[in-house]
Amino acid sequence: MTSELTEKKVERFTDALNELDKAATFAKSMYQTDVYQEAGRMMESLDGMKTLFNYANRFDEAGVFMNGPWEDASKLQAPLVSGSLKTKGLASIIEVMSDMRMLAIAKGNADHPSVTKESAEEFLNEVMALNLDLLFPNGSEESRIEQKENAEQFDRAQRFFEFLFTQLSSASLSKTLLVEINQLTAQRPIMVKRIKSMIRTAKKLLESESPENQPEELQDYIEAVEGPTQYSKKFPNVNHYRSELKNVMEDELVEEARAFAESMQKTGIVAPQHAILLRRLNKNKPELLFEALMLTDKGKANLEEHIELVSQLIKVAIYPATAQTIYGLSKMLDRGVLSSTPVAPGLRRLVEIDIQPGVRKELFNAYEYRSGLTANSILVAGVISVLGQPLGVGQGLNPTCQSARGISLWAQHAPGYLLELIPRAARDGDIDLTFEGTAIHSKDLKGGLAPELHKELDPVSLVLVPHLDRIYNEMMTRVALRGEDGHKWVNPEFYGNWVQRGFSTVIEPITGTITDFQGYVRLFYATHHPDYNDDYELIYPNPVGIFITNVHGKLLGFHAVSILRIARVESGDYRIYFYNPNNDGSQNWGQGIEPTVNGNGELEGESSLPFHEFVSRLYAFHYNPYEQGDAFAVEDDIVERIESLAKQSWGEEYTWVAL
Amino acid sequence: MELDQMDLPGTMQDDGQDETKPYLTALIGWSLPAIEACTKLEKPFVVVGPPDFEHFAEKNDIRFIGWDFDRLNEGSDKLFKQLKALGAEVAVPLYEECVEWAGALNSRFRNEPRVFNRSLLLRDKGMMKRKAQIAGIKVGVFEEAHTKDDVRRFLKRVNEALLKVEGDKNDPIHVKPLDKAGSVGHRAIDDPEEIDALSDNDFPLLMESHLDGQEFSCEVFIHKGEIQFLNITEYVKLGYSNFVPASPSLEEKRPQIRQAIEQLINAFEIEYGVIHPEYFITSDGTLHFGEVAARVPGGHIFDLIERAHGFNAYQAQILCSDPNTTQEELRNFFPGEDEAEGYAGCLMVHPHRPYIQGLDVPDELEDHPYFEKHDMFTPDQGKVSERIGFGNHYGTIFFYGDDSEEMRELLQKYEKYDFYV
Repeated sequence: MTSELTEKKVERFTDALNELDKAATFAKSMYQTDVYQEAGRMMESLDGMKTLFNYANRFDEAGVFMNGPWEDASKLQAPLVSGSLKTKGLASIIEVMSDMRMLAIAKGNADHPSVTKESAEEFLNEVMALNLDLLFPNGSEESRIEQKENAEQFDRAQRFFEFLFTQLSSASLSKTLLVEINQLTAQRPIMVKRIKSMIRTAKKLLESESPENQPEELQDYIEAVEGPTQYSKKFPNVNHYRSELKNVMEDELVEEARAFAESMQKTGIVAPQHAILLRRLNKNKPELLFEALMLTDKGKANLEEHIELVSQLIKVAIYPATAQTIYGLSKMLDRGVLSSTPVAPGLRRLVEIDIQPGVRKELFNAYEYRSGLTANSILVAGVISVLGQPLGVGQGLNPTCQSARGISLWAQHAPGYLLELIPRAARDGDIDLTFEGTAIHSKDLKGGLAPELHKELDPVSLVLVPHLDRIYNEMMTRVALRGEDGHKWVNPEFYGNWVQRGFSTVIEPITGTITDFQGYVRLFYATHHPDYNDDYELIYPNPVGIFITNVHGKLLGFHAVSILRIARVESGDYRIYFYNPNNDGSQNWGQGIEPTVNGNGELEGESSLPFHEFVSRLYAFHYNPYEQGDAFAVEDDIVERIESLAKQSWGEEYTWVAL
Repeated sequence: MELDQMDLPGTMQDDGQDETKPYLTALIGWSLPAIEACTKLEKPFVVVGPPDFEHFAEKNDIRFIGWDFDRLNEGSDKLFKQLKALGAEVAVPLYEECVEWAGALNSRFRNEPRVFNRSLLLRDKGMMKRKAQIAGIKVGVFEEAHTKDDVRRFLKRVNEALLKVEGDKNDPIHVKPLDKAGSVGHRAIDDPEEIDALSDNDFPLLMESHLDGQEFSCEVFIHKGEIQFLNITEYVKLGYSNFVPASPSLEEKRPQIRQAIEQLINAFEIEYGVIHPEYFITSDGTLHFGEVAARVPGGHIFDLIERAHGFNAYQAQILCSDPNTTQEELRNFFPGEDEAEGYAGCLMVHPHRPYIQGLDVPDELEDHPYFEKHDMFTPDQGKVSERIGFGNHYGTIFFYGDDSEEMRELLQKYEKYDFYV
């Protein structure tokens, strides 16, 4: 059949829907297939989508979703929509129909006993915000491949969003987007491509709105992307900006520098013209560099001390394509990393090393508009970012949380070591870590995720993760039969001696049961909670394992995060601040447990939860066996509260055994 | 003993006296279309099915008894008593494995022990053939085999009888399990080496000589031993495509076919329900009997009957299975055998390749005026499971049109098409 909408198609769909509607409850499954088939044909054109939506108010009652995962609209989750839409075949058709049902509820065309008009609209706004790439596809190699391989459902999903886009109010959509952008930027990730595409979308959405309806906050973001200063606003093209800059007076230059820096510090996003300015200042007015970076006093001192190296780094690594690194540079100086002795020679080495052709290709692929950049420049820019924003390291779309956690930890506490690993991987194509006295070389190991690695990663991760991932897996394999959770031995060897040797896990490794949960909770309190642990402060990040649960508290899997610090907030409660390598925006783990990224005393890149809520999802942690406090003193009601949170969420998947 | 508790004389008496209470029809086997058909007939019913369906039945207020049909034991009496206590009087078999269970139940309901024996006849293909042969029905040469040597000997002897000499290609023989539905486990063997592929679990099995000719099936609705409706289904390719009613050249033979079926009904003493015999007809018009089943046929034939003849075959089966159905009800229910206005056909699609990652349904097919619908969706990419008999096809395409030759051509054309790529 042709893809256009024909009367026959509508008739066939209506017939199928009517048959389903008439069928007895137990017999619905016999008629659903025909409805899905005909709906799929309607979805082949935008007109068809619109027509199909006219029937959406009948879907629930007719039994379109009966006895399937989409049955109860109130249990649907916006983050799962994208996955279903990209699945081949049936699931993507039902997903579109389900979202149309939501739209019917949101528009008041249909009533639902447990989904209100408002929550339906909120759901769709979130779906929209999470699927911007489908609506405004980016031209990257990877999305091209995805489109080619899954043309059918990709087209369908895109058409659906095109339709949905016309149906939702742009004001509320942009508000949703803004919330998402705020959540993401608060963590100051190194990779900001997605954030930028969201900002551009929000801008497009609001183009038709009157200026008073344009939120000021969004305006700040748009300027941060496009140019926040007097001249950059006037000259969005970097070449024009560059030639204009030659005629600018000194006081105006200071203005430019301050405006760029202010925008960058406020949003964490850097405009490409900022790089032009920085290069210009570096050449002619180095005394203004600190203004353009808005350094703290400590940063300023660090800059003055290492001005020659910084100047060299700017020359090598700061270009419009790598402008985002300017934020990393300012933070690196503020952190005083250059004062660590091995860092300066380590950085200088990177400027000169020979990079393997394969690695060079990966680095080039990571930058679309690299116009003449060398692979060394890209790598140095990447290293500056990681050293400046250690908590901005993300795992991207890869299941490599351990590797991301390692890079982040070394960037914080062992920059010299990190600067050893990078040239080994980039130049030699091999790194080795010692495990219980034996060196494990990544080049000798097969497997890992290297070929499937999703390439939307910062340069350092691009270079290191394929190696680290293989070595981590190898270490885990070597301890697989020891009858205890392998992380106990692997974590200290993999990350280094910053990790404590004491280890406790909630799952009995041999039987897979949960045995002494209360004792486990008490031990964590006695080693980590300031009220019970004899005031031992956490010095290095503690790599811990958590259960990831969905909005209904249902177990989804395991995840690696690092506890960074524990502190009391104004309300008097303790919170755990942690690094989550997946850089997610809003997260909801069910039972009201929602990690925040700002508003509760988080530093850039930190997530946080109230102490007991975090513990309710914790499945393994390290501790110092010589620094234990008073486990017995932990109040019973705290322990019981945590136990019930655990039992009613991930705990449902496990057998609990009383001692 | 639980059985003794079930057998309390009091409960049995109560049921016997309560004659005004409407009786239940017991559907033996889980089938949504049959449940729907019974609901639409407004006949109260109870389903006897695998215990897995209990939850679904409960959720949908379907009276249900969970039963494991594979476990033959003396506990079968318990099922009868449970059904009797509920007020059931008729059992309708839906699947091959349920036939003897329904037979056993009906013989108790009707107090005719031989009903059960007759149903066993339909469950053992060796016994079935022998019975047909005794009754003078034309069948091929057949034997039961217990070992691979039996199969080797049979292949050799059949081909000797066909006067093949060393070096001639063997005529194939067919082997199939004694008690499986239709073509499940059916293999054609012409090379002695293929015999080694049989496993011990395949035995005992039935071996038959190959019959040439066009294959077709009949769906015969029988009440009180009389044919109420005879449908002929023409096979285009066994296990892949068929259509209803048969083409004019085959329908021409209807009187002869009808006679053969009456002979079969008499020989097998079939009184109620539906039978699904398969025949081969040679170019000179000789009919060879293949086998017969007494259950819902495969190949979507009931759906095709509904589309072509305009009656619901599940309802027909339920009505004909019930001795209490009146002649008038039956007269009102069935249309004339020659009243079908068009041909309804279907093609069962199984991937032609071991690994699939996409679906390709050509526009040309969907635009054809005979095209009605299909039920295929783009698969998750994956390894294709080996076809077991002709059962686990991946999808079905339905056609309807008024020319049997065009129908046949369509079915043949698309049988070769790669829908899964």
